[in-house]
Amino acid sequence: MTNIAWEKPAALDKPKGKPRSGSWKFALGGALMLAAVVYLVVSGTMVGARFFITVDEVVHNPAYLGQTVRITGAVIGSTIQYDPVTGDLEFTIAHIDSEPTDLATELHRVANNPVSTRLHIVMTNQTKPDLLVHEAQAILTGQLREDGNFHANYVLLKCPSRFQENTPGNMIRTTND
Amino acid sequence: MLAEIGAVTLGLAFVVSLYAILASVMGEVRHRTAWVLSGRNAALLTLPLLAISTGALLVALVTEQYQISYVWSVSDPTTPLFYRITALWGSQRGSLLFWCVLMALFAFGAIVLNWKSDRRLMPIAIAAMMAVLAFFVGITFFMENPFTRWWLDPSTMREVDTLLIPPGVVAPDQAALAATAQGLNPLLRHFGMIIHPPMLYLGFVGFVVPFAFAVAALASGDLTTNWIKATRRWTLVAWLFLSLGLILGGRWAYDVLGWGGYWGWDPVENAAFLPWLVGTAFLHSVMIQEKRGMLKVWNMALVIMTFSAVMFGTFATRSGVIQSVHSFARSEIGWPMLLFWAGMTLVAGALLVWRWQRGELRDEHPFVGLLSRESLFVMNNVIFMALTVAIFWGSFGAPITASLFFNQEITLGVEYFMLVTPPLFALMYLLMGVAPLSAWSAMSLRRMGASLMWPLLLTAATLFVIVLTSELNTPVSVLAYGLVFMAGYVALYETARGVWVRRRAHRESVWLALRRLYGRNQRRYGGYIVHLGIVVIGIGVIGSTIFQLETRRTLQINETQRIDRQYELRLDGLQQGISADNRELIVAAMTVFRDGREVARIQPRIDNFPNMPMTIAGAHSTLEKDFYVLLTGYDTERGIASFKVYINPLVNLVWWGGLVLILGTVLAAWPKEIVPETVRRTRKVNSLAGEMA
Repeated sequence: MTNIAWEKPAALDKPKGKPRSGSWKFALGGALMLAAVVYLVVSGTMVGARFFITVDEVVHNPAYLGQTVRITGAVIGSTIQYDPVTGDLEFTIAHIDSEPTDLATELHRVANNPVSTRLHIVMTNQTKPDLLVHEAQAILTGQLREDGNFHANYVLLKCPSRFQENTPGNMIRTTND
Repeated sequence: MLAEIGAVTLGLAFVVSLYAILASVMGEVRHRTAWVLSGRNAALLTLPLLAISTGALLVALVTEQYQISYVWSVSDPTTPLFYRITALWGSQRGSLLFWCVLMALFAFGAIVLNWKSDRRLMPIAIAAMMAVLAFFVGITFFMENPFTRWWLDPSTMREVDTLLIPPGVVAPDQAALAATAQGLNPLLRHFGMIIHPPMLYLGFVGFVVPFAFAVAALASGDLTTNWIKATRRWTLVAWLFLSLGLILGGRWAYDVLGWGGYWGWDPVENAAFLPWLVGTAFLHSVMIQEKRGMLKVWNMALVIMTFSAVMFGTFATRSGVIQSVHSFARSEIGWPMLLFWAGMTLVAGALLVWRWQRGELRDEHPFVGLLSRESLFVMNNVIFMALTVAIFWGSFGAPITASLFFNQEITLGVEYFMLVTPPLFALMYLLMGVAPLSAWSAMSLRRMGASLMWPLLLTAATLFVIVLTSELNTPVSVLAYGLVFMAGYVALYETARGVWVRRRAHRESVWLALRRLYGRNQRRYGGYIVHLGIVVIGIGVIGSTIFQLETRRTLQINETQRIDRQYELRLDGLQQGISADNRELIVAAMTVFRDGREVARIQPRIDNFPNMPMTIAGAHSTLEKDFYVLLTGYDTERGIASFKVYINPLVNLVWWGGLVLILGTVLAAWPKEIVPETVRRTRKVNSLAGEMA
């Protein structure tokens, strides 16, 4: 008995006679698809690109006023204010260098340095992020407005413990403090 | 003692894997069977060595050996046994060791199962697998060793964390170590996070097998389809685990990160998605080479790119250079990883170019007909690669280019991905709906149209019902659902057509015809189930993305508030307490009403761990929608609490679709019954005898 598997036979609809060369169709199709993808990527880049700058730059360069940018800074824990009813969240961040050699030390230094450049952040309709704590690194997307506040609509946080290699001694000292 | 056992076996695994590379390559070059065998045995030995090393770390975690600094950093005396075990992959060092043992497991399986059938490819395949393993074991041993221990220098009273014991030091007090132990990161205390990393690792390391066999084919000159046949199931298994890892990662984000979504286009998420996309393209295009002897260069390039994407994803996650909630802390292993990734990709790429230029990878047939199955598969590949390039550009390409050439730091936000990817996904679904109906070699437009008639009619009928009965019917969603449903109906139609043909030819029952259909072409029909899984996921993604409702409410105890036309929410009570593992818990007891009828009691809560709080959602899940509530603020004295409420239509289809996808992949990859020749002969004789009688 023959077993049948439903497999479409090759060349079921093969055109009769000598096949015509259709390579130009593939080339045209390929070029059109490439153009469409390039267009999508370029237009997407124009819409989605955010300058990643420091607190110093956004505060001191008026060109960034009103522009959607991405900034990073160290969270000052004592400034965090959250209203769970309205979802309004405000806090202040301090300037950190764009490429610090030791991020944990830098976060600690700037968050406790009263003369470091600071920027007040305003967010609305937020759930208070779990990682929003003193000396956390905040990466925010939003705009600096005329009121001098940075109105953010997206925040990414990393808590300091992620950068810091704790030791039992450090921990004992911290606990005793 | 455990630290010594773990470190020594890890070090031995490194030496043995290096020896396996050397012996295999020398055996292949000098045609010495004894060396090849020796290389194989050395490669097999890496698994027990790494298993002992991993076992030592596990025992140390379970028995609370806090002098081992890894144990100290990921557990504490309150950590339950279950989380002690999962803490093995809870941080960089342990997870690297775990990664190594999984890779050794895959290498072991590939060597044992493919040794006889693919003898010619094995020496170089072993060398390639061992090269990757040696690299990972090397960085684990030398740079991220999980067996370093705390020692106290009595003269300075400072502790040091080292592998070798420095002179004059003493072991710190166990009680002090236990008291200061860090405990597992709260974010990792979730079922999805417990399984998600191992699944993702299995998916990542699994692709080393097809990569190694492809390199072996290029190096040895055996450029037939042998390497594809040898790795077909390995590729499917790796793809299965990678899919599972991605789905579980989404589930973890949905449950734990508390933002009501499951995919945030985060660079590290995207880095794990890239190998999935390239791997999917490879799974499709490899069929063209098997059936028609075409796309030989492209398939080689794809398998190299897939593993290259795996290595890049690993670099992105583990180096800490990418800003992401998922990434590990910044580590010194970034540069070695980047160099290894670049070197490995260049060597494999150079081998491919060399064979290509020698004319050894020529296609056996030209492309004819834009609607032939091979042409449509190529278009499918173009779409997958376009998605890969677009997502890579958005996550890494644009920031790197801006930094290198324009001295600007830029990132591309979610807006970029939401603009670029939907049209490409739409095209992917369109091709999923058309390609299965096409035939190899050629297909006319008329015949294609005739084949599409039933799926199109069913799609139109479904859309008509949706528009009439559902609220989920904006023009964009109707178009999107149309494409997705058509892809699903085509998969069902093709299966039904196969059953119908079998029933006519063999007079079989529907069930028997279906079983035999799958049995005879499990990859194809398993593939259709995978398509159905992707369709179900698509329905879930469209519903939960376009129609998500987000609102905020503040309730007093016993107060009920309306959320939308269907749902109401009542706060029954607020409780505060301390859990066994020292968490402060704030739990809101709530009742969910739908159309005036109580449907669920949920408990959104906040877990205050010593270092950070965690917001755990309370959810009432049905197939139709998720009612998802986050506790955002509370005042237990006044009996008042604030909540963020999400209504996510169809979101559960994302997880159910994942299950269907997994079922389809398992069916496609399931090993066929291997019938020994003697039994086959006996069966044939019996069958003939039966026919004659």
